[in-house]
Amino acid sequence: MSASKRPERRGQLARARRRAGIVFSLPVIFLVAGFLAIPILQTFYYSFTRWNGMTSTWVGTDNYRQLFADSTFWQVVSNNAILLASIPLAILIPLIVAFLLNEHVAGWRFFRSVYFLPTAISWVVIGMVAIRFFASEGLLNSTLQTVGLGGIHTDLLSKESTAIIAVIITFIWSVFGTNTIIFITGMATLDREVYEAARVDGAGAWSTLFYITIPMLMRFIQFAFILTVITAFTALFSLIYIMTQGGPGFATTTLEFFVYNKGFKTGVFGLAAAIGVVLFAVVFVVWIAQFRIFRDRAD
Amino acid sequence: MDRARRQLTRTTIFLILALLVVIMLFPFVFMALVSFRSYQQYLSGSGFSLDSWKVLFDVLPVIQELLNSTIVTLGAVAIILAVSATGGFAFAKLGYPGSAVVLLLLLSGMMVPVQSIVIPEYVNISQLGLINQFQGAIIVYAALGAPFATYLMTTYFRGVSTDLIEASLIDGASYWQVFTRIMLPLATPALVTVAVLQFIQIWDDFLIGFLFLQTPEVRTITVGLATLQSSRMVNIPALMAGSLVSALPAIVVYLIFQRHLVRGLTMGMGK
Repeated sequence: MSASKRPERRGQLARARRRAGIVFSLPVIFLVAGFLAIPILQTFYYSFTRWNGMTSTWVGTDNYRQLFADSTFWQVVSNNAILLASIPLAILIPLIVAFLLNEHVAGWRFFRSVYFLPTAISWVVIGMVAIRFFASEGLLNSTLQTVGLGGIHTDLLSKESTAIIAVIITFIWSVFGTNTIIFITGMATLDREVYEAARVDGAGAWSTLFYITIPMLMRFIQFAFILTVITAFTALFSLIYIMTQGGPGFATTTLEFFVYNKGFKTGVFGLAAAIGVVLFAVVFVVWIAQFRIFRDRAD
Repeated sequence: MDRARRQLTRTTIFLILALLVVIMLFPFVFMALVSFRSYQQYLSGSGFSLDSWKVLFDVLPVIQELLNSTIVTLGAVAIILAVSATGGFAFAKLGYPGSAVVLLLLLSGMMVPVQSIVIPEYVNISQLGLINQFQGAIIVYAALGAPFATYLMTTYFRGVSTDLIEASLIDGASYWQVFTRIMLPLATPALVTVAVLQFIQIWDDFLIGFLFLQTPEVRTITVGLATLQSSRMVNIPALMAGSLVSALPAIVVYLIFQRHLVRGLTMGMGK
């Protein structure tokens, strides 16, 4: 090959590579554009319309005004806030357990596998068992009775004030293993010498946990926090559907359940789309917060 | 003295962790024990029988629904693997002008909550005539799973040496040959991770199956189980038998591929 031909050949190669790149990325682009991007744009559009699935009329911001004036909507938002408030527990318990697992006592690998097992189970199945656990004649009450606390008879699911507590306990149980695994992974990356140094300096277990392990795990804690918030806000529909159907009243209806409630049960698609936009906005803010945190850490 | 104290600490830790095992295993033990009792035995709390399993198979077309779940799950996983492998290869190794922006837009699909798109999705799919057709649910599951899968595959392919690709191209291989003969075999661990994550997610899903596959002939097992519950069925042992059946395939996949699940999680952290 002569020297004069080389740049031309290189140009051809680059062009072939670009063409291959476009062809190889087209399937996923079409799939995501058609069944994810277009629907989310439609949700935005239809949130400004009155829509029954067939015909729509532009109504401007009517749906949003109606939504923000609805006391039920604010109850639903406050349910999301209650979920959010429970997340420190869903972080702290796994953190302490990961710390204990990290001591590598006999059987710790087995323990870890068992804790992670709920990852494989559907929310429907988890909900099915949870109802029986929290029921008036269920296992929670019989256990309380066995340990001599029979005076505390619970019926969490049937009361408006307490149903969400049952949902939250079930939720924390479900994400416990995932978060424990995240922290265990994080702890494995920590330098053991730091621990040795702390021990030599006479630091106790608790001060090691709070002054060394937790600060060094911050990145992992933030990741677990974001993942847990997203799960709480966008993945609990089936659990709520099975456990409470969003009730009693609206006591366990979260934003995502409210979309279903207004859309598929009541049939006001435009209003449901507006709720979908609010949910998307909330999740978007959580993600952006994560990116900012990660970027700040990276600096 | 110090040694004894340390032993005591470790025993205490062991006991705490073992207690947690009891709490985490409770639902599984509960499902298994209760399902082998008839309704009367459940109420009286003694004896075992297969009655409730018979009831379950009478009220729920278990085999049909397991088959439906399998078709939908495997179909969607196959599409996800195909598009995320080709896409990941393209974004990691075959960049073109604008490909970084395209990737960013694709990955931002991870941020979209299902509930925020489910209504227009339902309307679109019904206009395509695909409600109560496996294809409809499969394509929706595939679209929902594709962004994260593409993220994992792109990350994985970025770690593969570019020299390897260039050497094969110089030897006269086409990009398709490079992809099928070199990239895919190298990416097997990542593909298994994607497949396992998506299998469990789709098998366990309720909402999409519930809305897009409503008729009994196409219903998935998870949805079938939920309809039993909402039909106010009082036979708790039969419900627990159903729960166990629906959970079993995902549990088996979990037990076999546990390490891949953990890897998926840590890859998600960008580690």
